Amino acid sequence: MAVVRVSGAAADQVLAAVAPALEIGRAPPREARLSAIHDPSTGDLVDRALVTRFPGPASYTGEDVVEISCHGGWLVPALVVEACVVAGARQAERGEFSRRAYLNGKLDLVQVEAVADLIDARSRALHRASLIQLDRGLSERIAALRERLIRTEALLAHHLDFPEEDDAPVPLTEVVSEADDVLAKIDGLLRTAPEGALLREGAVVVLAGAPNAGKSSLYNALVGEDRAMVTEVPGTTRDALESTVELGGFPFRLVDTAGLRDSEERLEMMGIEVARRALARADLVLYCTEKMAVGAEFDRLRSEINVPMVIVHTKRDLRGAGAPGVWAEEVAGYVDVAGYVEVSTVTGHGLGDLQDRLPRAVFSGLIETGGEVPVVTRRRQVRALEAAREAVEMFRRELEGGVPADLAATHLRPAESALEELLGVVSVDDVLDVLFADFCIGK
Amino acid sequence: MRSRYDVVVVGGGHAGTEAAAASARIGARTLLITPDMGRIGQMSCNPAIGGVAKGVVAREVDALGGVMGQATDASRIQFRMLNRSKGPAVWGPRAQCDRAMYPIAVRRILDGLPCLELFQEMVEDLVAEDGRVVGVRTRGGTLIEADAVVVTAGTFLRGRIHVGGQAGVEAGRAGEAPSVALAVGLEVLGLRVARFKTGTPPRVDGRSVDLDAMVRQDGEVGDFRFASYVRETIPDQRPCWITWAGADLKRVVAENLDRSALYGGEISGRGPRYCPSIEDKVVRFPDAPRHQVFLEPEGLHTTELYVNGLSTSLPAEVQLEFLRTLPGMADAIMTKVGYAIEYDYFPPDQLRHTLELRSVPGLFLAGQVNGTTGYEEAAGQGLVAGANAALKVLGGEPFLLERDEAYIGVLIDDLVTRGVDEPYRLFTSRAEFRLLLRQDNTVRRLGGIAVAHGLLTDVQKVSLDERLRDEERLRQWFVATSLPPDAVNDALEAAGSSPIREPTRAAALLKRPGVTARVLLAVADGEAPVTDQDTLSSVAVELKYAGYVDRERARAETLRKQAKIKLDNELPYSSFVTLSWEAREKLDRIRPDTLAQAARVPGVTPADLQNLVMEVRKLRSQGTGAGT
Ligand SMILES: Cc1cc2nc3c(=O)[nH]c(=O)nc-3n(C[C@H](O)[C@H](O)[C@H](O)COP(=O)(O)OP(=O)(O)OC[C@H]3O[C@@H](n4cnc5c(N)ncnc54)[C@H](O)[C@@H]3O)c2cc1C
Ligand SMILES: Nc1nc2c(ncn2[C@@H]2O[C@H](COP(=O)(O)OP(=O)(O)OP(=O)(O)O)[C@@H](O)[C@H]2O)c(=O)[nH]1
Ligand SMILES: [Mg+2]
Repeated sequence: MAVVRVSGAAADQVLAAVAPALEIGRAPPREARLSAIHDPSTGDLVDRALVTRFPGPASYTGEDVVEISCHGGWLVPALVVEACVVAGARQAERGEFSRRAYLNGKLDLVQVEAVADLIDARSRALHRASLIQLDRGLSERIAALRERLIRTEALLAHHLDFPEEDDAPVPLTEVVSEADDVLAKIDGLLRTAPEGALLREGAVVVLAGAPNAGKSSLYNALVGEDRAMVTEVPGTTRDALESTVELGGFPFRLVDTAGLRDSEERLEMMGIEVARRALARADLVLYCTEKMAVGAEFDRLRSEINVPMVIVHTKRDLRGAGAPGVWAEEVAGYVDVAGYVEVSTVTGHGLGDLQDRLPRAVFSGLIETGGEVPVVTRRRQVRALEAAREAVEMFRRELEGGVPADLAATHLRPAESALEELLGVVSVDDVLDVLFADFCIGK
Repeated sequence: MRSRYDVVVVGGGHAGTEAAAASARIGARTLLITPDMGRIGQMSCNPAIGGVAKGVVAREVDALGGVMGQATDASRIQFRMLNRSKGPAVWGPRAQCDRAMYPIAVRRILDGLPCLELFQEMVEDLVAEDGRVVGVRTRGGTLIEADAVVVTAGTFLRGRIHVGGQAGVEAGRAGEAPSVALAVGLEVLGLRVARFKTGTPPRVDGRSVDLDAMVRQDGEVGDFRFASYVRETIPDQRPCWITWAGADLKRVVAENLDRSALYGGEISGRGPRYCPSIEDKVVRFPDAPRHQVFLEPEGLHTTELYVNGLSTSLPAEVQLEFLRTLPGMADAIMTKVGYAIEYDYFPPDQLRHTLELRSVPGLFLAGQVNGTTGYEEAAGQGLVAGANAALKVLGGEPFLLERDEAYIGVLIDDLVTRGVDEPYRLFTSRAEFRLLLRQDNTVRRLGGIAVAHGLLTDVQKVSLDERLRDEERLRQWFVATSLPPDAVNDALEAAGSSPIREPTRAAALLKRPGVTARVLLAVADGEAPVTDQDTLSSVAVELKYAGYVDRERARAETLRKQAKIKLDNELPYSSFVTLSWEAREKLDRIRPDTLAQAARVPGVTPADLQNLVMEVRKLRSQGTGAGT
């Protein structure tokens, strides 16, 4: 099944042309009607489809909208679109419905981005974050921050514009603490940003270690398919292989790499170079080893990366029961080691444990909040929040440092406009409205 | 009086006097008509000029050659710079004036303008031909022709005064007749009309008040002046007195609320939120323990005191009762009763930025009739309306002030673009560039503009040139002079600033917190140019806060770019279907001159703006027959 959407002032005219049998006057808003769809130029029957009218502004785009639920496949929907074009419509551009919804004030920019994320979502976590954004969860927080800034301006306005109101002077400390509060809230949102970005892109997890350590076997086990070649010959893997998997509802991009060792062989050296490049963009490293003790190889890897790593002690089945790896004690003090797991791809030992551990190693912040808080997922959002943060921070620092309030206040407008760029508009009247609602002023 | 003038100004309040004077300075034959020549420039309410933002406007009016600054200097009996402890952008010069001396000074200044004549009469009607105004008719039936008319009738249009419970009395101000015929005449011309209200407090005899029970507030000593071009003689100074309205007073008001004209439902017009009556304060802020009250001298030669903070429309006996609850006022004698007044105004979104009505060419409106409140707001508009009336008649370019040039620009743009829903008064927070709109730089901001439009007299022009030369010389000194460590380190230490090792430019030292221009000049020991106080503070502020000021300027520049996108006045907004219905309706009414102004129209969203640009493009390409 497919849905063809027509939006714009002439939506009903298009509908009348492609569904002549349907009496539009009799088709009430938001109720589906079965109707034959014809190509108006030839009169040929194209499909029998369900037709629903959404008169503006109570529609997705805010304009008059008609939705035709037709049969799927690749031909029928194309013919229906063609029929609509013959009837005067134009093929929509990519994202055009959402753009129109934005221009008509139905969605703000953050929501538009959420729609895109929702469509692209490959993990339940991004799906949930997008829905929260679409539901204005993030927008509301940003709007609330903007309102706080306006309130700060109003407090200042009271301080600056009503010098004789000694009845209820606003101490500047109150303004400072208001600014502090805003900063704390911006920080709270920004803290979700690194994980939020990973939600959209997938966390890059690189399997690294000596040749023959069992990386490719583990990779295949985690992906659930034999993607990588496995042999008993050390140096089997040459290129980096990448697969997207969802673990615990979170998106991961697993990367299998060539085993690391000093080699003279040209092909292997190239493979190792590829592995190092993969390590450079890793969000988490699974260090795979079958050895019983921490060695130079481990130290070298540690010094080369600056993301957390999980130590995977492979081939558990070969070591016999009851011989817990010495690794556990050795690495207990390393802050960059996010865990130690013994696995066997032969028995399946420890695989479940590892799968549980990966989300916790990368998405701990999101997991802690239970997925209920809005998440900053885009660089644009981060940039705007950072710009706002910097301006508020300047304001606060100067105010506290004794710079006159009217001068320090010159930082507030840029902070507000950074947030507005994320969403919408302001006017000076907003400040005065807050001012008069909250304070007794004037003689 | 003759039978024809270039410009006729109706009303001799603060708007009217500035309008008439501006028109005359530009060189138009001007007549000012007002019913009582003894009350030209009369202060209807508080005998004070200035305050935060308002004080800047008074100085802007002066820098543009106006009357208000000089008249204030000549009559001020107490001066204070409000907000002096805060930054320079919000310093607000405020003067208590002698109620009798102010109008005398105004009259003297008007009498010095060769192109201006005065006439004592009431205007009853406007004479229009083919939809444009061609003159006025007086109560006595005389027809006076004019190419442009400026109406500044203040609170007089269908004015009704209310004092507690009694049905309103028709009046323009206490003891003065209202203007009813003129109000009707304006309505007949098709102007939209609405009602506002305002109020004034009672006055008391100072001899009946125990001033020892109050806090004395003296003015600042020093030579501050509102006027930059002409030096007036400043009278002796007087203190004000501060006391507080407490629980007793609030109880008296609360118990009698139903007898207040405001709360008894007799008055329908809306009043200013920021100038609340005591009834408003009691109702809206029942928990505030007390409200400040200022007793302000009405003049040098009277004992009467103005009770600032207790504006009311309660019955006279209730006013006396609550006055007597104030500390030191148990035996107070009330000399004048407070009252509320309701009056017509014309929603100002009917105006162009020149303050000419869109629908009636040749007719200009200024002051309270445009829905504003306050002497300074009235004066600023009067000057702009009078200047534009004269320029229109004499064929000059319109006189317009931008939002980053003057508070007057902010005021007029707000009125024209956003309209008003309560009496409009200026605040610094209405200006997005308040750091540029300071009281110390009015001459530098506006002197050149004034000259370009012919707004300055020869005397003022000479004074302006001198002033700008002095400023530049002093600025040069700060920028060019390096002060050696041994000369300046003691002074720096005294200012709490760290010593220097190398000779350092005075301008750089001035940027340090705590270091003042005066300190640096003292170090220079007679080497620096000598200027008056005002010139010094103007140069010093600009240098000291240069970083902030530059940043604000850069921001203003971006707005200016938007302002460059001009919109045709005849655009068919109602046919722009991609715009929201609300935006279409508002834009159709307000007809903005630029895209920047369109953005400020309430209810116009960014989406509307984007669509507006597309519609205009479409229209242009159709008009030229070009493709796409
Ligand atoms: C009771 C009262 C309380 C106020 N309270 C405050 C306050 O608390 N705070 C504040 O900021 N402002 C207050 N004001 C407002 C302040 O007085 C005005 O804003 C200011 O005076 C407006 O100036 P204007 O020139 O527009 O009008 P006005 O000063 O009112 O002058 C109008 C002039 O027009 C003349 N006129 C009227 N009709 C005609 C006619 N038909 N023909 C010829 N001349 C005519 C009048 O005689 C007068 O000279 C108050 C005013 C009143 C009356
Ligand atoms: N018994 C047992 N053998 C394993 C296990 N994991 C891997 N092996 C064997 O170890 C050998 C190497 O496995 P790979 O997965 O290819 O190792 P690799 O680390 O990818 O090796 P390179 O690609 O050469 O670096 C193969 O013979 C596997 O069958 C395990 O858990 N138990
Ligand atoms: Mg391998």
